[in-house]
Amino acid sequence: MHIPDGYLSPSTCVVLYALSASGWYSSLKRIKRLLATRAIPLISVFAAFAFVVMMFNVPLPGGTTGHAVGVTVAAIVLGPWGSILAISIALAIQALFFGDGGITTLGANCFNMAIVGSFVAYSVYRIIAAKSELSARRRVLAAAIAGYVSINASALVTAFEVGIQPTLFHDANGSPLYAPYPLHIAIPAMMIGHLTFAGLAEAAISAGMVSYLQRADPGLLRGGGETAERMPLAALTSGTQPSERRLWLTVALLMFLTPIGILAAGTAWGEWSSADLANPQARAQIASASHGQAPPVAIPSGIQKLSALWTAPFPGYAPFFIKRPEFGYLLSALFGVGLLLLASFAATSLGRTWRKRESRS
Amino acid sequence: MSRHSFIESTLRGFSRAFSNALASEHVANQPGLLQQFDPRVRVIGMLALVIAVVICRRLAVITALLLLAMVIAIASRVSLASLAKRVWLVVLGFTGIIALPALFTVPGKPIWSVPALSLTISAQGLRSCVLLVLRVETAVTLTTVLVLATPWMHILKALRSFHLPADAVTMLAMTHRYVFLLIETANQMFESRESRMVGVMSASAQRRVAARTAGLLLSKSVELSHEVYLAMLSRGFRGDVRLLTGFRMKFYDYAALSAFLFAGGAAAWMGR
Amino acid sequence: MALVFEVENISFDYEHIPAIRALSVQIEQGQRVALLGANGSGKSTLLRILDGLYFPSAGSVSCCGEPLTREHLQQDGFALSFRRRVALVFQNPDVQLFNPTVFDEIAYGPLQMSWPKEEVLQRVNETLAFMNISHLRGRPPYRLSGGEKKQVALASVLVLNPDVLLLDEPTSALDPRSQSQVVDLIQQWKGTMKTVITATHQLDIIEDIADRVLVMETGTVIADGTPSRILGDADLLLRANLIHAHRHSHVGITHSHPHSHRHADQEHQR
Repeated sequence: MHIPDGYLSPSTCVVLYALSASGWYSSLKRIKRLLATRAIPLISVFAAFAFVVMMFNVPLPGGTTGHAVGVTVAAIVLGPWGSILAISIALAIQALFFGDGGITTLGANCFNMAIVGSFVAYSVYRIIAAKSELSARRRVLAAAIAGYVSINASALVTAFEVGIQPTLFHDANGSPLYAPYPLHIAIPAMMIGHLTFAGLAEAAISAGMVSYLQRADPGLLRGGGETAERMPLAALTSGTQPSERRLWLTVALLMFLTPIGILAAGTAWGEWSSADLANPQARAQIASASHGQAPPVAIPSGIQKLSALWTAPFPGYAPFFIKRPEFGYLLSALFGVGLLLLASFAATSLGRTWRKRESRS
Repeated sequence: MSRHSFIESTLRGFSRAFSNALASEHVANQPGLLQQFDPRVRVIGMLALVIAVVICRRLAVITALLLLAMVIAIASRVSLASLAKRVWLVVLGFTGIIALPALFTVPGKPIWSVPALSLTISAQGLRSCVLLVLRVETAVTLTTVLVLATPWMHILKALRSFHLPADAVTMLAMTHRYVFLLIETANQMFESRESRMVGVMSASAQRRVAARTAGLLLSKSVELSHEVYLAMLSRGFRGDVRLLTGFRMKFYDYAALSAFLFAGGAAAWMGR
Repeated sequence: MALVFEVENISFDYEHIPAIRALSVQIEQGQRVALLGANGSGKSTLLRILDGLYFPSAGSVSCCGEPLTREHLQQDGFALSFRRRVALVFQNPDVQLFNPTVFDEIAYGPLQMSWPKEEVLQRVNETLAFMNISHLRGRPPYRLSGGEKKQVALASVLVLNPDVLLLDEPTSALDPRSQSQVVDLIQQWKGTMKTVITATHQLDIIEDIADRVLVMETGTVIADGTPSRILGDADLLLRANLIHAHRHSHVGITHSHPHSHRHADQEHQR
């Protein structure tokens, strides 16, 4: 999911850097207030952990392997703010010292994986886990779903950023200057890989880790109460208040729009198969897209089969408005903007409750 | 496919990280062009060129920047052969394949039809495809040369003097430091697991091994972070990060910085 | 002699498991003390309490007449002077070496003390030379051997010239040469005003590094005496799990004698 340098226009990079920077700033402030002097070593070592987990090859059904991001478990253990910092630092280390992932696109990558990923993972996990016991199977399931959904949300936002490039940035002749695939190709090409492989890798590793921690180190999963002095994590992931619960539910509802957005874009994509076959342009599109050669970012092998599956159910039957590529565009945009608004809203409201709690203690 | 291929490929990834770090130490210690400049000049200079690559819209100018990157590489004792192997082929295999279908999908003036397949390459498709690949190749070459010719602690020190928040710079440094320790720890866990495993493992059993290893590593990491915290406190840490920045810019540093910025600016302007 | 530490009847729980109980001890300036005990006897915890990192749940600790409490250590003036005077070398050097390079590591303490830059540079260079590790100054920690890490860890606290040194298993997991280097260093402080408290379970270095031995077992001090008296008391060492009875038979006569664990410590380290 790492976008390399050159895929995004300078203005896109600047906007996403600005978004990420505001995320880093508020996370750092919050974390320092919560953890005081402990923040630096905890976040640093956790970022190192995330970096190493990103190198794990997770075996998946069908003989393939995928890489996890580790954002889910970071969000569960550190809470969304700590997770934003830890994952961003891990990504920055990859880009700056190992030359992995772009430098101009670092803001974009942090926004997609660290910020969107952390918020989605945290909210999904909290809603599903609710008030269940620390040792409940439900928490393992919650971690799996949170991992799956958050990776797909990150992928969708990534696909959106990549997919708007040709529309917004092209020269006078119509040649795309940056990533060449419009939304109706970028979104399905990106999502197929993540709905099948990368999402599963994150789901598997998150669920496995939560189940391991339940047995070996349940203190790390504790959401409040008497977490020992050695681990001041309680403050980070403390229990959700009813008003916050509603908020997280709204965020979650928005997440459920994700599959609809994908479906819409996917249908628009499937539309070509029933489109005018006499048009060589359209045929070219079908050929390239359904052979799955056009992922904007890496997709594990074995997608060809799946892309056929994906195209089959749709040709021409969907309601007309879903077939329009603009609809997918609109939905993704709505999704992205809504996510941002809610994230900042959540940020302020959570901050308020924390302050209240602090002043009480 | 071998029995525990996922462990082996993960271990291969670990050793690649180490060998990259060692390779960069080796190149960084050689006398070369970039190596003699102040690290801040190297970081700002190469970043300026990367930004120019992203801004440029003309193939000729990006090609010129790629040539410039190669000249800097040779002058900085980075061999083109290793660049070709580590960077150019990798990018071609990744971005190249991603860009290929754009030849056909981008609508525009048809310039060549593939016989029998009734696929048509458009001029616009060709241009965007070449543009993307060239841009990525050039940007990655520049960053790789920078990373290879500059020990990472120098990059870090350069970042310190850029007025980034001291907390952020400290966290970057500490993360980088503990990445190596945790890689070593994970390595040992996987190796001991592997030596105990007999027979073919199912994918789900392998996943469990991966997740359990990650979980154990997480416990250890949190424990480690607490110990590090105590060690910091013990030496007088009270929340404020204090850093030592000791670079002195010399005349040729300023000259080099100006040259980099001029090249970047000129490229961005010419490539409008 | 002035008292450096006064520990009165302290207890400390680690996640509900008692680690220290009813421990009282006084340590005078210039003493070289060995805390002798098996793993889990509470040596490390005691050192951390003396370094103002953990605070006892009951009882009191003071250093040079000043109470060692969380509140008192939050005052900048006391925290600064205490951290300069008292230094702890952790058992695991990877914990202690958290900076990007050896040079940054050694400069860390002085920087926290807000010394002027020139003085920091000078002190760091002197310390590097004193420890014979000048060649390592630019190295990252992951390029150091175990012995080198230990030396850098020592250098990182010696740079502040502390009056009190707390050493947690300074010779564990070291090859014999590095081990004797560390022992030599501690020996140099004999007769100076420096107070050195070393936690160890290695009996063979006790006489070189200490004038006084505190034997610890299950979180408290069970004996206090000179090295020769303690090392001569086989029953005591047996009770503290520092040696084990070793039975074997010589031509029909079975007898048992205490058997010390001299070099078998490496396996016990985690």
